[in-house]
Amino acid sequence: MRMDHYTLLQKIGIYLGIGLFLMFVLLPFLEMFRTSLSPMSHLFHAPYEIWNSEMSFQAYRDMWDKVPLLGRYIWNSIYIASMVTALSMIIITPAAYAYARLEFPLKALSLGAFLSINMFAGAVLLIPLYRLLNSLHLLNTYWAMIIPGIAFLIPTGIWLLKGYLEKIPRELEEAAYIDGASRVYTLRRVVLPLAVPGLIVVGTSVFIGAYAQQYLFAITFNQVKELQPLPAGLNQFIGYQSVEWNQMMAAALTGVLPVMAVFFFLQKYLVAGLTAGAVKE
Amino acid sequence: MAPLQLQTVTKSFGAAQVLIGIDLAIHDKEFVVFVGPSGCGKSTLLRIIAGLDEATSGQIIIDGTDVSRLAPVDRGISMVFQSYALYPHLSVYENIAFPLRVQRLPEAEVKAKVARAADILQLTDKLPLKPGQLSGGQRQRVAIGRSIVRNPKVFLFDEPLSNLDAALRGDMRVELSGLHRDLSATMIYVTHDQVEAMTMAHRIVVLNAGHVEQFGTPMELYHHPATRFVATFIGQPNMNLVPATVLGTDAGGLAVELDGGPRLVLPVEPGAARSGDRVEVGIRPEHATLGDGIAMKVRVLERLGGVAITYGIMSSGQRFCAALHGDAAVAEGDTISVGVNPADCHVFGASGAVLRRLKAPVLAA
Repeated sequence: MRMDHYTLLQKIGIYLGIGLFLMFVLLPFLEMFRTSLSPMSHLFHAPYEIWNSEMSFQAYRDMWDKVPLLGRYIWNSIYIASMVTALSMIIITPAAYAYARLEFPLKALSLGAFLSINMFAGAVLLIPLYRLLNSLHLLNTYWAMIIPGIAFLIPTGIWLLKGYLEKIPRELEEAAYIDGASRVYTLRRVVLPLAVPGLIVVGTSVFIGAYAQQYLFAITFNQVKELQPLPAGLNQFIGYQSVEWNQMMAAALTGVLPVMAVFFFLQKYLVAGLTAGAVKE
Repeated sequence: MAPLQLQTVTKSFGAAQVLIGIDLAIHDKEFVVFVGPSGCGKSTLLRIIAGLDEATSGQIIIDGTDVSRLAPVDRGISMVFQSYALYPHLSVYENIAFPLRVQRLPEAEVKAKVARAADILQLTDKLPLKPGQLSGGQRQRVAIGRSIVRNPKVFLFDEPLSNLDAALRGDMRVELSGLHRDLSATMIYVTHDQVEAMTMAHRIVVLNAGHVEQFGTPMELYHHPATRFVATFIGQPNMNLVPATVLGTDAGGLAVELDGGPRLVLPVEPGAARSGDRVEVGIRPEHATLGDGIAMKVRVLERLGGVAITYGIMSSGQRFCAALHGDAAVAEGDTISVGVNPADCHVFGASGAVLRRLKAPVLAA
C-alpha cells in the first residue's frame, strides 16, 4: 500500500479538517472584501446580508479622496519593510554562517539569548526604545521604524538561516579551502549561491515580520503623517463622527495586494526552502 | 615531485587519542594506500596531511619542507573527497577551473589547463554540463580533474570509490592506476577496501586503533603479516586463527598441537616461545586442501565456480574456512579433513606479534 493512499472516510476527514482551518484563515478576508464592496448604509443592516444589490467598487475610488496620502502610506509600508529586510539580511547572512560553521566563545549562550529576545513582546520594550531613539534624535524619521524592526527580526533570521546553511555539505567548503579559497571567497562563490532558496525563505519571513510589526513602532515613534506606513495610515478612516469601514477595508486590501503578488511568485521557493534537506534526495 | 614524511604525528580530540605517534616515509611518485577498519584514524591522518585538521603534535614534511603550519594550498597537495564535493551550481568546466579562478589566472591559461585535464579524463564533451547531469563515475572524474589542474606534488584521495557500484569501482581502480602512471605523482589513497589496497598500492599502510600495524608492499603484507591484525585484515576470505599449544622447539621450527587438531612442526623462528605456551596458528583458507590434517564438519558451502569456500567447525568448536577446488567432492553436513603445508602457516604469540616464517616465498622486489 502506498503511503499516500487513503480510504474515502480518511479523505473526507482530511478535507473537513482543511476546510475548517481555511475557514478560520480566510473568512476574515472574505468579510473584509464584502465590507469593502458594501455602501455604508448597508453595513449595519440587520439581518446580516452576504450580498446586496448596491454592492460596488465605489469605496476603492473614494478612499483616495478621503485619505489623500493613502498611496504614500502604501509606499511607506513597502519601503520600511524592504529596508528592514535588506539591512537585516546584510547582518543575518554572515552571522548565520558564523553560527553554522565557526567555533567561538559564548556561541551557544548567545544563540540562546537570541531566542529569549523573541519572548519579549515589542510592546514591553517600547518605552526604553522610545528613550533610546529620542537620544539618537531618530524619532519621527523612517529610521525610528526601521531600526527597531531590524533588531527584533535578526534573531529569528539567524536561527532560520543557520539551519539552512548547516545542510550545505561541509566538504564543499573544505574542497574550496584545499584549493586556496578564502572564507569570504568560498562564501561568495560556493555557499551563498547554494543558499539562495534559504535566503529567499529567510528574506520573506523577515519581510512578513517587518510588515506586521510596523504598526506598533509607527504609532509610537513617529508623528509625521508623510512617513506613516499603511496600518497607521488606516487610522485616518476613523473620523470624529463615523468610521468609513468600507473604505478602510478597501485600502487595507489594496495595501497588501502588491505584497501578496510577490509572495505568489516566491511560493515555490518557500515550500522548497522550508522542507529542504528534510529527506535524503 | 615529492617525498612525504610524517614524524610522530599524533591527534587527540579531548581525552580521546585518535592517532598515536605515526611515523611514515613515503617515496617520490609512490602510490601509498592507508587501509584499516572504520575508526582506525586513516581519514584523520589524511586530513592532517591535507591541512584540514591540525595534528596535536608532530611534523608533516613535503619535499623537505615542514608544512605542518601551512595552509593546504601552500603545501602542494590536492584532495579528492569521498562525496566528490562538486559545486552543484557550477558547470563541469567551472568546477575544474575553480582552483585556477582562486589563483586569478588569465582566462586563456585557465582554458588551456581545463582542456588538458578534461582531455586526460575524457570529459571534454561534458564541460558545459552541471554535475547533477553526470553519472557517478563521471562526477568522480570531475573531482579528479579539479585536483590535477593545479599540478600538486601530492594527491590525496579519501575513499573516492566508495560511492560507486561494484562494477564501476573495478573500472575506476584501473583508471586511477593508469592516471597515477600518466601523472607520475605521489598519491595517498585512503580506503577500507582491501581489494583496492592490494590492487593499486605500491605500499600499504595498515592502520589500527590509531597506530601503524605494518607498512609494506601488498605481497609483504600477504606473506609476512607483522601482526595478527594485519594477517586477518589482508586476504579474502579471512585467515583462520586456530589456538594451539607449543610442544617444543628445534632447528626445524616450532612443534605445536592445534586445539582439536593435529600436531604440526612449523618452520618459524621460535623466538621466545617455550614449551607449553599458547599461540595461534594462522592458516589462509586458500592454503587448505582436502587431505589428512584438520577434521571439520561442513556447515556452509559457497561454490563460486573456481573455488568452493567451505565453512566448517572443528571438534574443538573452532570455526575453520577452507577455499577448496571448485569441484571438490564435499557437501554441507559432511565431515571432511583438510591438510595444510606447514610452510604456509603463520604463528602469532600471545601479544599478537608474528613469529618470522623461515620458508616463506621469496618476494619479488
